[in-house]
Amino acid sequence: MNAALERGFRAVGAPLVAVGSHAFGIYSVFAQVVMALLKGAVRWREVVRQSYLIGNRSLFFITVTLGFLGLISVYQVASQIQRILPDFTMMGPAFIQLMWREFAPTITGLMIATRVGSGIAAEIGSMVVTEQVDALRMCNADPVRYLIVPRTIASTVMVMMLTIYAVFIATIAGMVLADVVFNVSPSTFVSLSMVSGQDVVLGLVKALSFGFWIPIVAGQAGLSASGGSAGVGWATTRAVVASSFAVILLDFIISGIGYTVFDL
Amino acid sequence: MIEFIDIHKSFGPKHVLRGVSLTVEQGQVLYLVGSSGAGKSVLVKHLVGLLRPDSGRIVLDGRDITWLSEAEFYPVRKKCAMVFQNSTLFDSMTVLDNVALPYRKHHRLDRAEASRRALEKLALVDMEHAARRFPGDLGDGLRKRVAIARALTLDPEFVIFDEPTTGLDPVAAANVDQLIRSLRNDTGVTAIVVSHDLRSIFTVADRIAMIYEGHIRLDGTPEDFRRSADPVVSQFIHGRPDGPMKI
Amino acid sequence: MRNVLVGPVSVVGRASMGLMATLGGATMLLGRILRALLPPRFDRDEAWRQLYAVGVKSSAIVMVTALFVGAIMVIQTAFYVQRTGATSLLGFGVGFTVFAEIGPILIGLMFSGRVGANNTAELGTMVVTEQVDALRALAIDPIGYLVVPRFIAMIVMMLMLMALGDVFAIIGAALTADTLVGVDPSVLIGDILDSHLLDEYLLGLGKAFCFGVSISVLSCWYGLGVRGGATGVGRAVNNSVVANAAAIFFIDFVMGWIFPVGL
Ligand SMILES: Nc1ncnc2c1ncn2[C@@H]1O[C@H](COP(=O)(O)OP(=O)(O)O)[C@@H](O)[C@H]1O
Ligand SMILES: [Mg+2]
Repeated sequence: MNAALERGFRAVGAPLVAVGSHAFGIYSVFAQVVMALLKGAVRWREVVRQSYLIGNRSLFFITVTLGFLGLISVYQVASQIQRILPDFTMMGPAFIQLMWREFAPTITGLMIATRVGSGIAAEIGSMVVTEQVDALRMCNADPVRYLIVPRTIASTVMVMMLTIYAVFIATIAGMVLADVVFNVSPSTFVSLSMVSGQDVVLGLVKALSFGFWIPIVAGQAGLSASGGSAGVGWATTRAVVASSFAVILLDFIISGIGYTVFDL
Repeated sequence: MIEFIDIHKSFGPKHVLRGVSLTVEQGQVLYLVGSSGAGKSVLVKHLVGLLRPDSGRIVLDGRDITWLSEAEFYPVRKKCAMVFQNSTLFDSMTVLDNVALPYRKHHRLDRAEASRRALEKLALVDMEHAARRFPGDLGDGLRKRVAIARALTLDPEFVIFDEPTTGLDPVAAANVDQLIRSLRNDTGVTAIVVSHDLRSIFTVADRIAMIYEGHIRLDGTPEDFRRSADPVVSQFIHGRPDGPMKI
Repeated sequence: MRNVLVGPVSVVGRASMGLMATLGGATMLLGRILRALLPPRFDRDEAWRQLYAVGVKSSAIVMVTALFVGAIMVIQTAFYVQRTGATSLLGFGVGFTVFAEIGPILIGLMFSGRVGANNTAELGTMVVTEQVDALRALAIDPIGYLVVPRFIAMIVMMLMLMALGDVFAIIGAALTADTLVGVDPSVLIGDILDSHLLDEYLLGLGKAFCFGVSISVLSCWYGLGVRGGATGVGRAVNNSVVANAAAIFFIDFVMGWIFPVGL
């Protein structure tokens, strides 16, 4: 009886403890990043290099994924409209607005979490298990400041820029499809009439916070890698899951606050 | 009988085997020696089809097996077992499940019967006590003994041991030597043993072959090796730090 | 100057070469998997074990993700419904996006991140530590023993989690509707049930099946192709999740095109 109870507690408790210590680990990296930023201890050259790497690695990927997303969304929405009210004038503006508010930042964030987050964890994790991070510590270089801070700044900037690019790509894809399949002229489709300043701000705030958190969450996973190739693989997996989940959670929080407080 | 005929093998620019020819007679224990990185592991992996030569042939019991397909190699691997240098136990399974796996897969035994037979094999290497543990929790020496037990499950006619005693304490190493000897004497197993362990070499080997710079430098009895005038061979056999050998 | 011109061309060239190699290799692997399934020649014990392992790994994260997907879609739909006054469309909008579009994409991405990435890491580690060679040396076919059980487990679990995830998404939607949007949960759920979304639901399951196939094949292909120690494993996991994400969007597009659903 007692043993069963204990096993029950363990089964519930162990994951909770794991999630708790994971969250604490992320918080501690976050605090160190903020401290480094406040002190202005930033290696700008590395920031530029990382920005280039992030952009270079993600551009093709975002073009493909957002392109398909734009095509299928417009196809589905337009098929509905065709059946109920064959008036396509509002479709393009509403599509662009929805891209700004929700899908461009979120999908871009998820793609960067996948592409860049896993890359950061793989890179830092390999450095940890081959004891390069210890070597850094031995020469008084703090791994968070040295490795994670530049990636955080770079990714914050790049996710915002890539989000704008994502809106652009999805709009182009949607525009072409609307023109070819539904005969909606590009000039009708491409219109910013529904996009308000608030929508732009909401999208950019989302992009900014995704970009800021992804390297922190992924870097923490990399730094806690241990034990050879299995450890690196495990850290990389955790980085993808945790940073993707962070994007979804942040999206919920920001959308929720935006809707209830600012009526966005 | 195992014959390697003029085997060449390169990895990119690195020409590891440059025409190796070697014959192992039925029932013999051949020790393959050579410095680290000489290509000993590479050579023996050719026998079970894990590597394919760039040129040359491998003949097992009169049958050319060089270019068998992966599927055609499976029967060959059942009669020719291999103990890997790094043991390569399956991390996700207990020691017992590691050894029971070939029984379950090839003899279609149920779990209980497979486990019973696996325990018998583990007893051969004095590892029954660790049956329920995971390989990750064992030291190198113990893992190696489990790997030997696993390789013997299918009662192979040929066994390749890749450094079976490296990392073992002297008593455990002597036990492995004893095991190899009794395999040969009692079951007529033909074995290739890759080893650096001079003591095992001179107590167990029927023949020794030394691989050096991609060729077989000397192939003969332990007595031939002791009396060899070749400076490279004698440096290796006596473990002298300086001499003509390039490391 | 030359670099500026050649740069983008060679990037696209290299990307498409990589794409061809991946597609070719993965298709061949799929062929070998199907051949091992007809007649069935794979390890049943291992299949059960994988089914359990995949389920344990992914259930929690997929459920939680689904809750948030439902919540986010209610907020976004409410924004439009409020502006246009078409309150009756709230249930349809939420149900449609959750069942047919955003639900499958996000659940697929999470499953790929959790299970696919983990699978690549596991197989890659087995490759670099020579455990796959050890299997071959024991005359055990790695396809039948390692790959097919994972293939089956991922497809089955992906389908089950999508079916279950839709339920959780509705719960998340109902909770958010109540707390943030001010719509009674029973009204929202009633609306969703009245919207005749069976086609959308089935389309979501169809997508889940295809995601299961692509995630398992691609993650196994990248895992078995690992070269070069710990660094190689990390890089393979990275490539695997990227390829899977691209595949998810591609499949989503193709399925949506072939099976148009809606009013
Ligand atoms: N799969 C491989 N790819 C590239 N190089 C290899 C591979 N396997 C072995 N080598 C190289 O071949 C050489 C011989 O290796 P090996 O046979 O393991 O040496 P040893 O005699 O110590 O067993 C080494 O230099 C090694 O780096
Ligand atoms: Mg070796």
